[in-house]
Amino acid sequence: MRTAAIAFNTFREAIRDRILYSLLVFALAMIGGSLILSMLSVGGEVKIIKDLGLAAIGLVGILIAVFIGVGLVHKEIERRTLYTIITKPIRRSDFILGKFLGLALTLAVNVAIMGAGLLLLASAMEARLAWELLLPVALTFVKLMVVTAIAVLFSTFSTPTLSAIFTLALVVVGSLAEDLKLFAVTFGGPLLQGVVEAVYLILPNLASLDVGGAVAHGRPVPAAVAGLAAAYGLTYMVALLAVAVWVFQYRDFK
Amino acid sequence: MTTRFPTACLCVLLVAGAAAAGLLRGLEGFRPTLAAGPEPPWLPPAGAVRPLFLGYNALAADLFWIRTVQYFGGTRQTDRRYPHLYRLVDLTTSLDPHFVDAYQLGGLFLSLGRAYPEAIAIYRKGIEHNPDRWELPYDLGRMYFLDLGDIPLALEWFERANALPGHGHYVPRLVARLRARAGLIEAALEMWERMLETTDNEWVRETARKEIEKLRKQLRTG
Repeated sequence: MRTAAIAFNTFREAIRDRILYSLLVFALAMIGGSLILSMLSVGGEVKIIKDLGLAAIGLVGILIAVFIGVGLVHKEIERRTLYTIITKPIRRSDFILGKFLGLALTLAVNVAIMGAGLLLLASAMEARLAWELLLPVALTFVKLMVVTAIAVLFSTFSTPTLSAIFTLALVVVGSLAEDLKLFAVTFGGPLLQGVVEAVYLILPNLASLDVGGAVAHGRPVPAAVAGLAAAYGLTYMVALLAVAVWVFQYRDFK
Repeated sequence: MTTRFPTACLCVLLVAGAAAAGLLRGLEGFRPTLAAGPEPPWLPPAGAVRPLFLGYNALAADLFWIRTVQYFGGTRQTDRRYPHLYRLVDLTTSLDPHFVDAYQLGGLFLSLGRAYPEAIAIYRKGIEHNPDRWELPYDLGRMYFLDLGDIPLALEWFERANALPGHGHYVPRLVARLRARAGLIEAALEMWERMLETTDNEWVRETARKEIEKLRKQLRTG
């Protein structure tokens, strides 16, 4: 209940942020702009709309998750509202989870709006309901939850600027996880391969949550793949939140 | 002071605005000379390029494909030579190995530029990455038949297309004609007619119409 109250408050605060609307308008413009871009092509017009639309949802979602997520805890410290909150009978874990869920709700609303825009456009182009886009949009949302959890984790012990840099760096590395492994297999010896394998398992593999390419080509995505990817993302998110709660629990605010 | 400041701002705005517009006009005058001739596109090596796009490879492939189409269209209007076409198509398909349209149209563009070995390489790459798609062996067979006149190889690829699920209803008929080595002009005519039927692109339709006209004339004159 306390977590829900903090989450709702965070959501209300986030939707008052003007940056959110700017990013949303930018994403919708990108989705709309894909129509113009597709006109420049010969072949693959619908694929271009789907690829660009899904990329816009992912990129704008990451920007929202990072730039709002990194300030979640720091803002409360800066405004000194945190000192009032922690003196109340509220567990620190409730505070962190509430903050996370509030931003997750904000992202859910945004992804739903952007996803609906893309679905309408792709359906109009194909003269049928492009319902298969729901899967990559849903997995993009899971990816954004992981990114939000990373941002929340860094925000529990670092400044917003450093948190944003760390989070974006992890997003980049996480998007290249598959390439990193391939690089070690191709060029490295057994030692490098072992090290890379360990790093590969520790880092968030955000590429595994991307099924947009297959969907844009009309290739089937097996239910097991989608289910495992979603489960991986949610599990990773839970692990990150556990670390965030742990760090925040022992943080000294004196 | 209070009235002079906004007036000064307005003056600066008007002067700078007019100067910017003038400079842009001047720049536009240079653009045709800069764009003259086929523009050599910036092309990173296909193998090393994937990590650069941070997982947005499909989107990067789309953008390179649009660049390919623009390059082909622009060059076609000038000297009909396409020195960068193969690398552009190769890059696009390396970024997105399942982009069947890029293999099909890229192969067609290359064959129209008489770059047959490169077209064959693109079709083969597409077949390797998309072994379940009948369109690619069919297109390769069509190129062997229509452009290179190599009936045994054309037949080999048509048979491969024929063995794949979802193939066009006309493929078995083409296979039969090529096996019997009979009605080859009719077979060529049918291939162009199918292309005319299935493409959404006006440029491909125009090319198909011209070829159909030529073949019909050939049939009439015997």
